[in-house]
Amino acid sequence: MTTQIARMLASRACSEGRLFYIENCIRFLSPKAYSQREFWQAGAELVGEGGVEADGEVVALALECLERAGLVGAKVDLGSIPVFRKTVEQFNITNYEGLRRAISAKSMGDLREVTTDKRAIEVFAYMMEERGGPDVLTRLSEMGVRGLNEDVRYFEELFDVIKAYGYSRNVRIDLSTLREMKYYNGVVFEIFLEGVGIPIGGGGRYDAMMKEFGMDVSAAGFAVSVDLLVRVVEGLSVRRSSPLQVYYIEGYREKAIGLARRLRDKGKPCTVSRYRGEKEGILVGETIIEMNGGNSLEEKL
Amino acid sequence: MRGVILAVPNKGRLRGPAMEVLERANIRPLDNDRVYLSNTTLEGVQLLSIRAADIPIYIYYGIADLGITGRDVVAESGLEVYELADMGFGECSLVVAVKSDSKYRDPSELPHGTRVATEFPNLTKQFFNELGIQVEVITLRGAVEIAPLLGLADCVVDLSSTGRTLERNGLRAIGTILRSTAKLICNKVAYKTRYEQIKMLEDLLVRSA
Repeated sequence: MTTQIARMLASRACSEGRLFYIENCIRFLSPKAYSQREFWQAGAELVGEGGVEADGEVVALALECLERAGLVGAKVDLGSIPVFRKTVEQFNITNYEGLRRAISAKSMGDLREVTTDKRAIEVFAYMMEERGGPDVLTRLSEMGVRGLNEDVRYFEELFDVIKAYGYSRNVRIDLSTLREMKYYNGVVFEIFLEGVGIPIGGGGRYDAMMKEFGMDVSAAGFAVSVDLLVRVVEGLSVRRSSPLQVYYIEGYREKAIGLARRLRDKGKPCTVSRYRGEKEGILVGETIIEMNGGNSLEEKL
Repeated sequence: MRGVILAVPNKGRLRGPAMEVLERANIRPLDNDRVYLSNTTLEGVQLLSIRAADIPIYIYYGIADLGITGRDVVAESGLEVYELADMGFGECSLVVAVKSDSKYRDPSELPHGTRVATEFPNLTKQFFNELGIQVEVITLRGAVEIAPLLGLADCVVDLSSTGRTLERNGLRAIGTILRSTAKLICNKVAYKTRYEQIKMLEDLLVRSA
């Protein structure tokens, strides 16, 4: 969806905004892939802000959305397109796509086919292997990759921002995270859930694509697979609360409806009907009574 | 947390060497070898015995965490998995072969409309697409070598380790699509969410390879 949103924003000269979507997407499938041509994506884009705060907000928002959907403990792995580019350039590797594939597959065999430079192999092997906090970048810099000062500082700050959102335990750096989409030009990330074999989503910064569409503006966002989430949530057998039955005694309908509206405002679904001798639910008369407990709810509500 | 599920081929050329690696690593199935999913002598590790070509699928969807299978079937599946290590056995090549008396010396010489019999339709299509040759791919499930002799196909794309089977069936290799060995592959999410368990098993298997 991101590509379409970027195109839309650019054609309307919209240079800032916060957008979200839950949409069905259609894609061309190569015969290899085992997936659906039509799928649902939910995501958000933050346009017009380029700082580390914006990147942190996007990551935190993705995690918060999943939490609200009942999926606690999702993990995010961060990667960096600039760091990857700088490393590739330093070792003069021309087969960029081959290298990207080797690294994303953590395949030493494929890496050796792309380059024979011992130092390059050592550095890229480290990028495939190591996962952790901002010190992953520091180590890479110590291994001789030049020009990473800016990136080390960026990731230190990003971890600070993510910590402020309360998600530092969910997030790690894995420099082999490179996302398939070619439009990313800054931080990229993938989202995982224990027990789900496929990343459930991801995102990153794509200022460069906005520029392609003719707008020099910052943009970052994330998307998650709705189809996968539905599968997971169904598997969790999260019990959906059935609506609360509110009954009224003749003459108290208005009071019952008033109560129902207050309950619905609090997010509690309920129905209202005339009392016909039911044994469970809430009975509204002179007082409000929870029928199976026999308690008065006057104060609680 | 459930244990790690390690997938190995239940038959075929990789079965023997894969089981030898497990033997050396002291991982033995507790059930007889007809059981698809078996507990093992190593606590927390279960063994899943399935067809080599299905292993990338079980790994991709995260049903199995680690698997030993050929690079050929991983590439054919087109699925993204981590290839953690080379297991050092199962060496072979996916080759294009024609009848011994054929005039063609290189795959690029094959004419449009050539009929190619193979067990690897995806890699075959991709290979000839890149050459710009339109071919008719005939997918078979085995005994591919016999197809040219009987006139079903003009050439085959098939695995060959020594070239002897090709020779016996009156075929000659004219090009290589891919070299393959047995790989230790891993589900991408499992590698991240259960790193310690996976790493331990990876090290053990690589040491025993």
